Amino acid sequence: MLRENSKVDNGVHNKHVPFFIRLKKIVDPKWIMILLPLAFILITTFIPMINLFKLSVVDENGFTLKYLTQVFTQQIYLQVIFLTLKIAFLVTLSCLVLAYPVSYFIVKLKSPKLKKVILQLIMIPFWISLLVRTFSWIVVLQDQGVINSMLKYMGIIDKPAPLLFNTAGVLIGMTHVLLPYMILNVYSTMEGIDRNLVQVAQVMGAKPTRAFWEIFFPLSIPGILSGSMLVFILALGYFITPSLLGGAHDMTISMLIQNNISNTLNWSLASALSLILFLITLVLLGGLLFLMRNHPALKED
Amino acid sequence: MKKIITGILSLGLLLNLTGCSSSSKTATNAPKELVVVDWGGNYTDVSKKSRYEPFEKKYNVTIKIVSPTDYGKFKAMEQSGNIEWDVVNVDADFAIRGAKENLFEKLDYNIIKTDGVDKKFISDYGIGSETFAVAISYNTKTFNASNHPKTWSDVWDTKKFPGARSFQKYAEGTLEAALLADGVAPDKLFPLDVDRAFASLDKIKPSVKSWWTAGAQAPQLLATGEVSTAAAWSGRVLAAKKQGSPENVEYNQALIYADSWVIPKGAPNKDLAMKFINYCTTAQTQAEFSKLVDYAPTNSKALPLLSEEIKTRLGQSTNSAKQIVADIQWWADNFNSVDARFQKWLLK
Repeated sequence: MLRENSKVDNGVHNKHVPFFIRLKKIVDPKWIMILLPLAFILITTFIPMINLFKLSVVDENGFTLKYLTQVFTQQIYLQVIFLTLKIAFLVTLSCLVLAYPVSYFIVKLKSPKLKKVILQLIMIPFWISLLVRTFSWIVVLQDQGVINSMLKYMGIIDKPAPLLFNTAGVLIGMTHVLLPYMILNVYSTMEGIDRNLVQVAQVMGAKPTRAFWEIFFPLSIPGILSGSMLVFILALGYFITPSLLGGAHDMTISMLIQNNISNTLNWSLASALSLILFLITLVLLGGLLFLMRNHPALKED
Repeated sequence: MKKIITGILSLGLLLNLTGCSSSSKTATNAPKELVVVDWGGNYTDVSKKSRYEPFEKKYNVTIKIVSPTDYGKFKAMEQSGNIEWDVVNVDADFAIRGAKENLFEKLDYNIIKTDGVDKKFISDYGIGSETFAVAISYNTKTFNASNHPKTWSDVWDTKKFPGARSFQKYAEGTLEAALLADGVAPDKLFPLDVDRAFASLDKIKPSVKSWWTAGAQAPQLLATGEVSTAAAWSGRVLAAKKQGSPENVEYNQALIYADSWVIPKGAPNKDLAMKFINYCTTAQTQAEFSKLVDYAPTNSKALPLLSEEIKTRLGQSTNSAKQIVADIQWWADNFNSVDARFQKWLLK
């Protein structure tokens, strides 16, 4: 409709265009390109999701708020949701801290060949099964593991540092898995930044650090945001890594959901937990977007 | 070069197509197919040799193996009404819990002969396939054959037997160990005194380095000396020992659980599934199975068919240490509430 109106504004005589040509414009093939994937996503994501969430308020006896009340009245569930958010936040932060310099380094590289090689290296973890990687971390991080024996040999520590079966182990394992997502996001945004702007700033007398912080960094924020969101959301759903590398306290909401789906078979409770996790995620991300809505880097030009 | 590759690829595709047609042709005349679900890994390998292949020959059917057993999938299948499985190997307590959710067909005990099978392992909807033990396991570098934790009280005594501990991240097995450690007599164990069990667990919690969830974890923790003592599935630890890991099992006070065969409600080949369960329950089949793996038979008539050496390995010889069979019915009745409390306790 908007397109039609703009045509009128531009002075094109719309009235005399035959109907089927106008129809053809509306069913432009490029819309089909979007519609098909969109329908696919809607059908495969939202229909099962609605069916799942329905279970949280409906059980064999009909409508009930029992399960949602259970989540809010029994301390354990809110506690675990908080732990999950905490772990996801820390993982996002450590991914960002590690990914930013790496991406900057790759962008600065002059040789395109070397760039390709490094990007390939970053992709390697994707090729290895998650379970294998997690078990390898146990070998590396345990008391007699590679890191602790090395530190002991160098005389930095006398007692093995506790790296496994605690939050540190979970953070190391999850950061390793999720780091490529952050690097690829931040890198692709940085690659699109017009480096002439930084040069211009320097020509105008800004020191390199100032040019970086005032020109380059703000322009890279969209990449930081998209990478952080992706990593944060993926991290919220993890349960294999925290259950293998974490201690008793590193319980995530997905572990409870999984336990209720396939162990106690209490699907309604599992559904209530996923619904609340979903809503919390929406609120957090919505809030973030709301706060950032006036950021110039996010505005269209 | 490109042409050659395309040539090879298209040839491969063609061969594939002919392969499809010929296999589908045989499928129509082929013997019936029975879909059996089990736990995967080594369990599937030994089941293939001792149960599936002999059954296929005897009844002229083919068995399709699906693994691992997944209760969530089981329930989903029953709810959708599209049942693909014929026989499923489940934890014995699930054979009772799942019956409450109306997931199973009643077993036909006219077809399935139960003589020799302990009544504890038989219910309307499931029958024990084999038993396994949650046993005291230890690192043999820290302890030796004469000096190691021999009772659950020893496991709780971190002064006498130093080192970190590892327990299963499930209430089942862990609560029993806690009560035995606190001095409850084995014959008075069930019904479990849940409050007392958690009070006892409070004492050992600071020494528990890892709560394991996958069967492979405990043997690995013991092998590297990360923990000195663990409550672990005996079969897994003994398999690691066979491969040279410095670890061993103490069968005294081992807690015995069973796996059970069940038939999903509405299974496509129900009658054949009954015959299959009967075949797996016979003393002969169970003996063959236990020869290959460290799981003991549920049919006591299988024991005379085994050598003394194998019986010792299974903890089933006459001079084997005293073991305790868990009350599956109690667990089935209390599983959900105790499990919820256990999760809460872990976070405390």
